[in-house]
Amino acid sequence: MMSFLEALRTNPLLLSAVIAGLASSVVSGIIGAYVVVKRIVFISGSISHSVLSGIGFCLWLERAKGIDWISPLEGALIAGIISALIIGWIHLYYRQREDSVIAALWSIGMAVGVLFISQTPGFNVELTNFLIGNILWVTHTDLYILFGLDISILLCVFCMHKRFLIICFDEEQARLQGIRVNALYLLLLVLIAITIVLLIQVVGIILVMTMLTIPAAIANLFTASLSRVMFIGVILSAAMCFGGTALAYHLDWPGGATIALVAGMAYIATLGCQRRV
Amino acid sequence: MEPIISLKNVCFAYQDDQVIKDVSFDIAPGEFVGIIGPNGGGKTTLLKLLMGFLKPSTGNISIFGSAPTIARQPIAYVPQSVRFDKQFPISVLELVMGGRLSHLPWYGMFSREDKQAALSALERVGLLEFQHRSFGNLSGGQAQRALIARALASNPRLLLLDEPTASVDNQAEADIYNILKGLRGVMTIVMVTHNLQAAIELVEKVVCVQQSATVLKPQQVCEHFALGLYHTPLLKSAAKSETMGSSS
Repeated sequence: MMSFLEALRTNPLLLSAVIAGLASSVVSGIIGAYVVVKRIVFISGSISHSVLSGIGFCLWLERAKGIDWISPLEGALIAGIISALIIGWIHLYYRQREDSVIAALWSIGMAVGVLFISQTPGFNVELTNFLIGNILWVTHTDLYILFGLDISILLCVFCMHKRFLIICFDEEQARLQGIRVNALYLLLLVLIAITIVLLIQVVGIILVMTMLTIPAAIANLFTASLSRVMFIGVILSAAMCFGGTALAYHLDWPGGATIALVAGMAYIATLGCQRRV
Repeated sequence: MEPIISLKNVCFAYQDDQVIKDVSFDIAPGEFVGIIGPNGGGKTTLLKLLMGFLKPSTGNISIFGSAPTIARQPIAYVPQSVRFDKQFPISVLELVMGGRLSHLPWYGMFSREDKQAALSALERVGLLEFQHRSFGNLSGGQAQRALIARALASNPRLLLLDEPTASVDNQAEADIYNILKGLRGVMTIVMVTHNLQAAIELVEKVVCVQQSATVLKPQQVCEHFALGLYHTPLLKSAAKSETMGSSS
């Protein structure tokens, strides 16, 4: 462990990676709590996989057409928000076949991404990074974007938390109180989409749901207050990111997969301990 | 007196399944009304129509003189506690504060008055000492009382309850009815119930819903209630007796 801490002091790349992990932990703990208690993990999974279309499109624009004013990360953000709005609309107005339609969107998003990438010349290292994550790949610009989005999400949640709490618990009650439930639900999905894009930097598309759900799911086992679920979730998420990165450094494993593995093992161990008690 | 709720020839169907058919009745301010009927008869659908969550296919509903979707804020609804996720991390006080959501400013902090209203509502239902307890850890009767407190925290003029004593024990049932007795005359109450005895003792008017609706006085139907009968002959005979009564 000492060598990892020493490397943090001497290696700015590793330091950026850890800072990115901690920055994304703040939102994953908070937004993940809403995902877990509202039981919208499937919807979130669909959003996370749909962002591949935006990444593929921007990579294709950059490499095949020479258009580089929009980065794959920004493409992921736009694709994530658009898919969140479409999925939200389906959930609100087309409930009869909701799961099938969302599953179709999940596949369409990935298929569009794969098609654009297949038309993109050159070896797609970036694509691999987006799919399985590469925390060491975070640039200074990415860090600034991460902090900006972190602050925006925190401010939004600070003002909206009590409304989100009630719409997660009982939408009918919120409607009777004159709350615009549909607009709030769509806002929540947009916040989830932004969080997913932040987490993709750390663990990649394939593993993003681990970081979005596991810290909050573990926290939910220990407390009966949503605010505390968020607080514990942030701490757990940060610990998993830090521990996972350290382990990956020592074992020379891929960072994203190691973080996701640490999170998954922690969840299974917690469930096991709970059963015994 | 101008009715607080007015339904005129209301029909509602889920796709091809006709649930409510040509229902008309009025409810005056301060009245305590019981809605009874067999399972699948349309009682809960009727409540949802009153709250504006469903739109009638034909007919007209007026609450406080306007459409249900416009008149929502003075309405409070108490659902059955069993439909909520017991693992949801929400405290009793947070739940009851949910009744003050319409007062919440844009920056998301409740005022001292809002908290006081929630605490008073909790005191009224005898759950003040449970305010920090998780909602999921309450017993069935306590959970139902917490939901009543949430409704009361919004200072409603119309209180709608969907089988508030379903799946609670006898003591909890008595506690809930005591709370409702205390609210009689303070606000208009519409309660869906399976408890026939309660319908007789508490309410001033009974609406028997079985696709169509028949409005009866409790004393008109008590002998049938004792047998648990909701079937059509009862409704026909009750309606007939009402007609005969009015003609004589």
